[in-house]
Amino acid sequence: MSDSSSTGTLSGAAARKILKSRNIERVVVLGANGTMGYGSAALFTQAVPHVTFLARTKAKADEGLEAAIKQVRSPTVASRSDTGDYDNDLEAAVAQADLIFEALTEDFAIKKDMFDRVEKARRDDSIIATVTSGLSINALCEGRGDSFRKNFLGLHFFNPPNVITGTELIAGDDTDPEVVDFVDVFSRVKLGREMVRTADTPAFAGNRVGFKVLNEAAQLAEELGPVLVDRLVGPYTGRALTPLATVDLVGWDIHRAIVDNVFENSNDEANATLELPAYMAKLMDKGVMGDKTGAGFFKRDGKARLALDIASGDYKPVEEIALPDLSYIDDVASLYRQGRYEEGIQAFLAADGDEAALARKVIAGYISYAFHRVGEVTETITGIDLIMGAGFNWAPPSVLVDTMGADSAVRMIEEASLPVPEILSKAAASGEPRRFFSHPVINIGKYFVAG
Amino acid sequence: MATPEIYVLGGYQTDFARNWTKEKKHFSALMRESVLGALATCNIDPEEVESAHVGNFAAELYCMQGHLGAFFTEVHPAFSGLPTGRHEAACASGSIALLAASAEIEAGRYDLQAVVGIEQMKTVSAGEGGAYLGTAAWYEEEADGVEFPFPKLFGRLGDEYDKRYGLKDEHLAEISKINYANAKLNPNAQTRTWYMNKEHALCRTDDNAAVGGRIRIADCSQVTDGAVCVFLASRAFAEKYADRQGISLGDIPRIKGWGHNTARLRFADKVLESRDDRYVLPHVRSTVTSAMKRAGIADVSGIDGIETHDCFTTSEYMAIDHFGITEPGESWKAVEEGWLEIDGKYPINPSGGLIGAGHPVGATGVRQLLDGYLQVTGQAGDYQVEGAKNIQTLNIGGSGTTSCSFVVGV
Repeated sequence: MSDSSSTGTLSGAAARKILKSRNIERVVVLGANGTMGYGSAALFTQAVPHVTFLARTKAKADEGLEAAIKQVRSPTVASRSDTGDYDNDLEAAVAQADLIFEALTEDFAIKKDMFDRVEKARRDDSIIATVTSGLSINALCEGRGDSFRKNFLGLHFFNPPNVITGTELIAGDDTDPEVVDFVDVFSRVKLGREMVRTADTPAFAGNRVGFKVLNEAAQLAEELGPVLVDRLVGPYTGRALTPLATVDLVGWDIHRAIVDNVFENSNDEANATLELPAYMAKLMDKGVMGDKTGAGFFKRDGKARLALDIASGDYKPVEEIALPDLSYIDDVASLYRQGRYEEGIQAFLAADGDEAALARKVIAGYISYAFHRVGEVTETITGIDLIMGAGFNWAPPSVLVDTMGADSAVRMIEEASLPVPEILSKAAASGEPRRFFSHPVINIGKYFVAG
Repeated sequence: MATPEIYVLGGYQTDFARNWTKEKKHFSALMRESVLGALATCNIDPEEVESAHVGNFAAELYCMQGHLGAFFTEVHPAFSGLPTGRHEAACASGSIALLAASAEIEAGRYDLQAVVGIEQMKTVSAGEGGAYLGTAAWYEEEADGVEFPFPKLFGRLGDEYDKRYGLKDEHLAEISKINYANAKLNPNAQTRTWYMNKEHALCRTDDNAAVGGRIRIADCSQVTDGAVCVFLASRAFAEKYADRQGISLGDIPRIKGWGHNTARLRFADKVLESRDDRYVLPHVRSTVTSAMKRAGIADVSGIDGIETHDCFTTSEYMAIDHFGITEPGESWKAVEEGWLEIDGKYPINPSGGLIGAGHPVGATGVRQLLDGYLQVTGQAGDYQVEGAKNIQTLNIGGSGTTSCSFVVGV
């Protein structure tokens, strides 16, 4: 890990020079029938003249190509692509490829077997990238030859990649720094990615911090119900999509895979918030998986939106669920509506009632958790900020701190009885205004949704 | 007496990819972010601003809101009481606001002016918005009852070129491709993540549907929410500003020249008027050359890059020969030679232009000037034209009706 955020450090002439150091003419996508496979393949056709979609069968690869065309709504994807299967086409395609992009199912053994074949077939100068969102990059290339390890890295797009630009770049211990720089610049300039370099830690940076908040929301839902939780941790707290609706969209099974990975393989101060609620496991056994099965925390019945009653497993129309007085949220939203973000967030901080206090606790947890991960998952808070912004479309932790002020942030974290990151208490004690969010262009206002 | 100099101190552009309706934001939030962003970026205290000019096309229609100059006073308590006003000339509204602010500095009335170009357009459906844009033409004569009138008007511009000189779709597609490609380098461009290539621009399926004659989706600029605020200053203020920024006065870009013409409203009348002229839109040509002349620049070889009004690919095609890059009718040569790319001989729209960066109607003229400022101060990042010293803008309202141009340089 060299720099947690590449933005701006490799721009202009320096970037152009790096870009010219290699030619990416051919990309092979392995697992091109999966969501991440075809989405990534479509993205590559933007920048690369020849992309090969490979899957277990040619028919599956063709399905991937069809889905890619549909996703980016351009028939020109096809003229830059061909398809094939692993049995007949893998070795020849990999031998020709400048970049081999692995997007198989998240199973260590399956990926390992595939890399055995890739290692034998590839040229020494080709790059191998994996889109894994959770498996260790170092473990995935352990025991392979020098050339493989030097050219292997994690390139974690978020779904769907044509819409969500945040991308994590994870180097292994042996990845050649020149390869890392090249993939960084190539992805940013040619694929339009917002690049963040992260350490090879469980779930990397974005999902580590993001799913902590999502899982905490799921835990709270057991007592409060999904409707109230999504209202409390809703758009006014700095996100377009509410947390439990996000879990439904992602899929409960994916949610479980990510939080289980972090819960088991890390042991940080907030570990308990990463334990999957038992009711989710129970409901998943009955086939509740979120939007993909038509039912999760929420489901649709014609035009009606229904919410899960966790105790009974039944669904009730959202409007029939009684909520406490949440008028403070309207006050915050009407200030945001006029672009008065600082005043809006102060209104949130000053709001009375248990509900507002609970909402502040979740947000305090987000800020505290993110700042405590600095040095572990990224070198600076900027990396976490960028991936939360461009990967989750959430207000980055620093943006919240800057907008409320470090002293307010410290008070909020203390009131929630959570550990205060040292950098924040220092900034608060100094009394000097300090900005933590450093990005030359990003409009922080976009994160304060007035709803 | 020499004309007083107008200095450009910089400014701020909102991210044109944002949808302020989806964010549930009011017009005033857009104004507020652009102005507060400009104050912070340029290191200017609100108390220093003496006057404000707002360029906007149709907030009455899109946002049910008039009296836009007054919204400037809502941004900061220090602005209460400032003289402000709003300027409208369709898609050239932003440039008209810049001209008015410049004139007041030249007249010695004020030393520091804020100019805000602003438009919130995603409040309505595409069809409804298309009809609103029709009010930039002579509505009753050219737009009433026409679906998407403007693509059709600029399709006719292409037809006129075709009739006089010949025109190939592939040259228009190449213009589209370059604008989209440049937009990928611009972190504030609306289309920076969109899928586009020349083949797509040339494809004739529903993915690139026809919207008006030869104009297809890939030929069009975008429906955009956005605001841009820049600060213009007198020499007296610029000297003081240079001192405190630790730079020399010569490092601060100036508006070296401007041009401004208004042609008759109806496209048919324009074409009729120019039937014996080498230029299809001679008033646009006059705007371009008068700005160069005022800047002391003989011809386009003295211009390092252009930010032009590519509301459609045909308008950029027209701009190429009207700037004098080629002889009239030979714009295709510049396209084929690769002159228009960022590292080409005559870079056009390194920002991505209206097609790539987006077209919040009233903001566009101000956005072009800000991009010119960024270029000549070497701050354009990935879309920087190496060594740019003079950038010229061309901002057009209606079907080539109101034209404004600025040369900004150091």
